[in-house]
Parts: sequence; C-alpha cells; structure tokens
Amino acid sequence: MMIDRRLVREIDWVLLGLVLLQSLIGVFFIYSSSHFLPGNFHVRQLAWIGVSLIVLVLVLAIDYKFFVSLSVYFYGLIVAVLAATLVFARFVAGTKSWITLGLMQLQPSELAKIVLILVFARLFAEYKSATLTTQYTLWALLIAGVPLLLIILQPDLGTAMTFLAIIGGAFILAGLKRKTIVLLLLAACVVGIAGWNLGLKDYQKRRVTTLINPTNDPRGSGYQVIQSKIAIGSGGLAGKGFMKGSQSQLRFLPARHTDFIFSVIGEEAGFLGVFVVIVLYFFLLARMFLSVAKARDRAGVYIIFTASLLIAFQFLVNVLMIIGLFPVVGITLPFLSYGGSSLLTSTIACGLVLNVKMRRFANV
Amino acid sequence: MPEDKIYEDLSLVRRRANTVFWVVAALTFLVLSYYWKVQILEHKKYSGLAEANRTRMRVLAAPRGLILDRNREILADNKASFKVSLIRENVKDADASFAAVSRLLGIDEQSLRSRVELFKDVQAFEPIVIEDGLSAVDVAPIESRRLEFPELVVESEPQRFYPKGTLASHVLGYLQERTPEEIRARPDQKIRAGEMVGRTGIERECDDILRGEDGSVFEVVDSLGRVRGEQARQFPVQGGEVVMTIDHRLQARAEEALEGREGVVVALDPRSGEILALASFPTFDPNRFITRFTPAEWLQLMNDPLSPLENRAIRGLYAPGSIFKLVMSMGGLGFGYVTEGTTAYCSGSTQIYGAVRHCWFAPGHGAMNLSDAIKNSCNIYFYQLGRRMGIDMIALAAGRMGLGRKTGIDLAGEKEGLVPSSEWKMEALKTPWYPGETISVAIGQGQLQVTPLQIAAMTALIAERGKRIRPHLFKAAAAEGGGGTEDDAGAAADARPLFKTQVFESVISGMWRSANDGGTGRGAHVADFDVCGKTGSTQIMSRESAERLSRAGREIKTHSWFTGFAPRTNPRIVVTVLVEYGGGGGATAAPVAGRIFELFKELEKK
Repeated sequence: MMIDRRLVREIDWVLLGLVLLQSLIGVFFIYSSSHFLPGNFHVRQLAWIGVSLIVLVLVLAIDYKFFVSLSVYFYGLIVAVLAATLVFARFVAGTKSWITLGLMQLQPSELAKIVLILVFARLFAEYKSATLTTQYTLWALLIAGVPLLLIILQPDLGTAMTFLAIIGGAFILAGLKRKTIVLLLLAACVVGIAGWNLGLKDYQKRRVTTLINPTNDPRGSGYQVIQSKIAIGSGGLAGKGFMKGSQSQLRFLPARHTDFIFSVIGEEAGFLGVFVVIVLYFFLLARMFLSVAKARDRAGVYIIFTASLLIAFQFLVNVLMIIGLFPVVGITLPFLSYGGSSLLTSTIACGLVLNVKMRRFANV
Repeated sequence: MPEDKIYEDLSLVRRRANTVFWVVAALTFLVLSYYWKVQILEHKKYSGLAEANRTRMRVLAAPRGLILDRNREILADNKASFKVSLIRENVKDADASFAAVSRLLGIDEQSLRSRVELFKDVQAFEPIVIEDGLSAVDVAPIESRRLEFPELVVESEPQRFYPKGTLASHVLGYLQERTPEEIRARPDQKIRAGEMVGRTGIERECDDILRGEDGSVFEVVDSLGRVRGEQARQFPVQGGEVVMTIDHRLQARAEEALEGREGVVVALDPRSGEILALASFPTFDPNRFITRFTPAEWLQLMNDPLSPLENRAIRGLYAPGSIFKLVMSMGGLGFGYVTEGTTAYCSGSTQIYGAVRHCWFAPGHGAMNLSDAIKNSCNIYFYQLGRRMGIDMIALAAGRMGLGRKTGIDLAGEKEGLVPSSEWKMEALKTPWYPGETISVAIGQGQLQVTPLQIAAMTALIAERGKRIRPHLFKAAAAEGGGGTEDDAGAAADARPLFKTQVFESVISGMWRSANDGGTGRGAHVADFDVCGKTGSTQIMSRESAERLSRAGREIKTHSWFTGFAPRTNPRIVVTVLVEYGGGGGATAAPVAGRIFELFKELEKK
C-alpha cells in the first residue's frame, strides 16, 4: 500500500531523529562494553535497528484505528503465545520467555506491552465519563491481568512492573476517584504481601532488601549495584574515555551491554555523557507526551499517553536501578540497551505515537 | 482551537496526560541531580573504589640467602616451585568449591577445609596457600581451568632446598610457615600468610639476614581475578649469605660414623671455637618441612620416641661418666690434692664410707699415678681423689672447666646441665649432701649432667692449655647479628685464672697414653697424629640393678663417650662422641672419633 504524501509530511521527524540518535549512542556503548566478548553485539544491534525501522514503516503505513480494531485478535494471539511459551518451557529448560524466529529471538512479553496499549485504547475509546467506574476498572484489570499473570509466572518481574505502570497510567487518564485509589492501594498491598511470602523467589526478595543495604550482600545481588555505582561515580565529570572504563572493560560491571549500559556511559563518558543522554531523553519524552494535543480522538490520546509512559517508566526505573535507588528488576534502557525485543517494542511504541500524530486530521 | 469543535472534547485527558509528563520531567531532573551527586560530589570515593577493584598487590617472595659451609659448599639453596593458593573472597559456593578444588588438586577435602578454616580470621582477599612444592607439570591443569576456578591463584616462588638432605639438619634447622597467631600478633609487620620462617638452627638464628626483602607487584585484574597487566613492580632482594664453620666433609663423615645409632659427634677447632661438624642422630630431612606435612606426618615426627628434631649436642643431657675424670684430674692437681707422682693402689675394689666400690677392671690395675689412672680410666684412683676433694671442690673444678653452664654457642635452646654441690642440694632438695654421693660424682655419675658440646668445649680448654673459647657456627655474617645467647660474652671473656700449664700437660700426657699407649682410648688412635683422648661409659641405671642384671647374664648397655683432640702439640681439632646405649666408650665411641681424626688429617694434607 502507498502512503499518502501529506501523511509523510506530517511525520514528526524530530521525534524519529531522537529515537535514531539514542539507538546509535547505544550501539557505541554496546561496542565498548562487549567488544571483548564473542558475538558481535554491536553488529547485531545495528541489524535490529534496521529491522525496527522496517517494522516502523509498516506501523506508520497502517492507520492506528485499524490496529485498535484488530487489538482483540492481537490480544488473543499474544495470550496464546505467552501460555504456549510457558508450557513449552516446562519441557525445554532455558527457553522460557523466548521465541526463536530464524536467527532472531523475540520475547513475547515485550510485544505484549504493545498489545496492551492497543487493547486499552480500544477499551477506553468510547469511555467519556470524567472518572473511572468500578465496572470499567474491573474490566481493565481482567483484560490486563491475564497476560500479566502469564508474565509473572515466567517469571519476568520487570515486564510485569511495566504492565502495572501502563495499567496505572490508563486509570489516571480515565480519572481515578479517591475511593478507587484507596481500594487499588489496598489491593496492591494485599497482593504485594501475599506475593512476597508466596510468589517471590529468594533471589528476588534479596534484590529488594539489598536496595536498602547493598553492602549486606556484596557478592550476591548487592554486587551488581555496588559495581554499577562504582562505575558511575568513578566516571566523574568527563568520564574515563571511550573503551577505557576499568569497571566495564575489566568486567566488574554485570550485564554491561544490556541492563547496565547506562553505567558504562556514566563511567566512560562521565556526567557530561549522562547529561546528554538524559536531556535527549527529556526531549524525546516531551515530544511524545505532548503529542496528546495532536491526537484527534480518545483512542489516539490513550495510545500516545500509554506508549510514552511505557518508555518513560522503563527509562526512569533503569537509571534509578543502576544507581541503587530501585531494586534490580531487569528492565532495559529503551533504545540504548542491547536487545532486539526491547528495541523493537520501544520503536513500535514510538511508531504508534507518530502514527496517531500524523493522522490528526479526521478526513484522511 | 477551532478544530476541537468538530472533534470530541479531549481537554480533560490531555490535561491529565500533561500533568503526568511534568511529573516524569520532575523525576528526570531529580535523577540528573542524583547522578551529579554520585559523579561529581562523590567522585573521589568511587574513583578509589574502582582503583582498588582493578588493582591487586601481590607479594613477590624473596629467595632466602644461601647457607654455605666453610668451603663455600652450598648447604641450603633455593629452587623454583609452584604453589596454589585459595582466595576466599572469590569462592562463590563454599561446598562446591571445596569439593571441586580438592578433586582438582588431589588433596583430601577435609584437610583442605581445616586448612582454610585455620586462616578464617585473615582478610578474605588474602591468598591461603593450600598446596605447594608443585612442578610446572603439576600446575598445568589448574592454569588451563582458571575460568572455572577464580578462587585459585597459582604462583611460582623460590623455595628452600637443602641439596644434601639430612646433612647437618640440626645445625641448619628447619623452616615453617608463619602461624595465623604470629600474623595476627604483628599486623604492622610485613608478614604475609604462607611466609616461611626459620624455626630452629641457623635458619632461625640468622633469619633476619637470610630472609631478604620481599618485592611486590601491582597487577591490574579483571572481575574474575585474571591478571590483565601490571602497574608497578618492586623486585625482591635475596637474603644475605651465611657462611658457616661447618666442613661438609667432616660433617658427612661424622653422620656416617654414627652408623645409625642415636648419638652425637661434635668436632671443633680448639683455637677458635669454630665448629667443624655437629651431628645428632636420629636426624630429619629439612626439605620435608618446606612442603607442608600432613597432620599425620607431623604427629609422627613429634611423637617419635627417639625425638629426631632434638639437637642432642646442645640439648641432650648425659652423665659424663669417666670423661669427668679429666675434671677430677684438673682439680686434684690444680688444687694440690695430688701430684703427678701420687699413687693409689687398685685391687679391683675398695671400701669407701662403708660400701664396697668396684673398678670397672675386676682384676685391678695395681699401683697407679695420675697419668696411669687417666690412661686406664681407673675408678679406684678417682674414688680416693674424690673422697679427698669433697663435693664442693669437685664442683669448683667442674665450673672452671665450663660445666654447669651454657657454652654460648650461637644456637638457641642450649641446656646448662648440672654440677651438684652441697649448696645446690640444700637448695634444690632441702637435704644435706652425703659424702657417699661424692664417690659417684667422682667417676662422673650421680646427678652430674652435661651436654656433648660442653664436653667438647672442655676438651678444647684442655687442648689449648687453659684458653677458653666459645663454640660457634657462624664464620661470616655472624657479626651482623644472628645468634648467640646473652651469656656468651660472659663465657668468652671469663678471665679467671684456671690452672697452671703444668696441670694441663700432666692431664694431656694421660690422655695421650690413653689413645697411643694401649689405654682405653686406643680406638681413636691415628698414626702420626698424636691423638689425646678420654673414654667414658655411663651407667644409665643404679649400680645395684645393673649388678643384678649382669648376674642374670643380661647385657647392660651404657652410653658410650669419647672426647679428645689432636695433635698433642698445637692441637687443631677436638672431637667429642657420644653413642647412646653404645656400650663401652673405648669399644664404640673411640673408633668413631678415630674416623673423624683420620679424615681431618687427610684433609689437612691436601
């Protein structure tokens, strides 16, 4: 299908440029932190950027309303895949959360975030009241709860938390009554306490307790945070130089090219590097969030808002986590961390924002 | 905006979305300021931590100094050896690690555990030596599996090596690892775990000289402890050489001549006090102490009834037996109780203080002067002399001859022995001295106790006609410290008038006849070398039970003594031999001494 010239003109090139810039910065530091490992992670990340851009074109080509109308089918599909991987994982160890597509591996739980954005857009499209009703709250919780439960069972705590953020965001947008907030908080407490005692694995509990005192367990889960903080702090103002960070080059940093890529930036590019990346993020998020003004319908507002929140939440949790202000939950830094699924999901989320924004005129 | 009119009213949700964005923006600002705090304000702290992370100081052990004999023959050397240490900090799972490491090194898991447990108080990053004395071939499998065992460190270091094995082991001493207590007791000192330190002998006395100075290297390591580079290196300085007075050939001959019997051979130069040979048997191999013992081996060595670690020459206490007749002769002549011409008649036995006392030669020696009495080692003569002198004059003579106090040899642990006197008995046993006891002391029995080295020093005193020497082992490097006991200066500088030269000549004439004129010491005779000596056989049990045993036809073994010097004029060597349970001194100890004299004469000719 062809894209209308007018539509192409309406694409937010600045937003797209910021996404590409962040992704390329990511490639540099992926190279710096993994060049001594077999696997050519930087080349693979470049390939993933290519794939993501192709998918982005497809996302832009189709009107978001069409995606929203199909969201029920996407939802059914992703729940089936999540359930299948969970069952499959019982037979083949280590394949729990991955689907292999030829050379590339995808995490269905990542794509589930996109599906949730679309399903919520559909759910709330016709919802015009100023505040959320109990009925709608339960519907939303039920719809999000099924994939969420499957993800928790994997277990993938980071993605589960991101889900909760999207749910919370949608509720805020729909308007929360004080009563609902109290009820939700109560429910969260009950689920939290029950989950802590029944659901969380010991290593996950330790991650939370080491947040309070990382030196408690310097060789275990506290180790990552301590090493990451050392990397960031020792970077100083200007950093130790590209590929010259002792913490990353000598492998003291864990998960350098994935979850802890920002520690590498902090160490090798210093506070200046941190400042540049965070400011770029600020512009990117501002560009995304403030696009709600350009959405022509309620579904569009919901898509832009939840997609922006998805990126914002992961960004904030990641940069807080690696400096020891949040438990280590395995949330990547969108666009910068190595990983195809994460990059693809983030790009699609941006694509949806662009999609809504470029189709702001009703008669197209 | 006009377009809002044709669309539904989204202002409420837009406002809410904007609010959330500003919350996100505020959080972003807070994040940035926290990074500022960590990266700019706390930069120094984290910089230090990163530096400590990536660098590790490793000690480069200094090779110990060589120990050489008087001919610069190497007695203690170094050789390259590999050791494997475990760093507790790098152990991930203790149980799995212990099991895997013990399998890899082929050591018992339990002993590995107890070894690591022993050092539980030292810092977790300190390597604990768990296996050493390995060759390059032994450590190859460990090196090739470094990734699996980040807790193991393989290091090459110089290791003490004694090329001549057990030779002079009691003189050289042995090394042992510093105990955790020592390391803990002196945290300020440069002592590291696994460091070897001299425990006995020269290794201990000269430890300060021999130890040298450890070097160090600052290595850049990665998170697995793999070395990625080097920052600074300070090379170790080998310890200083120590040259000993020992002659390895005489030492070897001395050890060989004992023929595996427990005993002592001491040879020294009477002019200077330089010890030429000091053999104590049973012996041990100091090489065995370098690679750690298994606990069983150590227990076995410690509990060996023959105590091979004990240096009998300075720590073995024996009754001097007839050797003491030299002291009696010196005292008798020197204090005027007898003259050279004074004779006594030996009929084989005599009655003194109401008890019958026998001579060792039942038929009796007949009429004898002092020289004859020394030559034949006649008991009767000395019984009579002892009765005349009394215990306190005997003690005075013994004291002048250097008995009852340390010789001042530069080895730790020397014993004093015991010369009884009436005063001593009153003090120690709270009973008066009985004259009958004097008779036993007169022939070197009773409470008398001497070390073989004291006898050697006493013999040197006779050989030098009254010049007192301090036996010592260090030929060079001794000046810088190393050894000696606090009272050695006193012993060496003792300027009390001893005895007249004529007294010495008379005693020496008896000693000469003993070895050259068919006397008891004839076993030590060496042609054209004028050996002068005296034998001794000490009873190890009471005389009554000895007689009972001999009536029963049982063989009574006595300690066998010989001490002597050669040649008669200008003596150059003193040899003292003690063979435990060796039987008669003339039959056993004298020939041993003879072999030493023989070799010495041979070596002198060359």
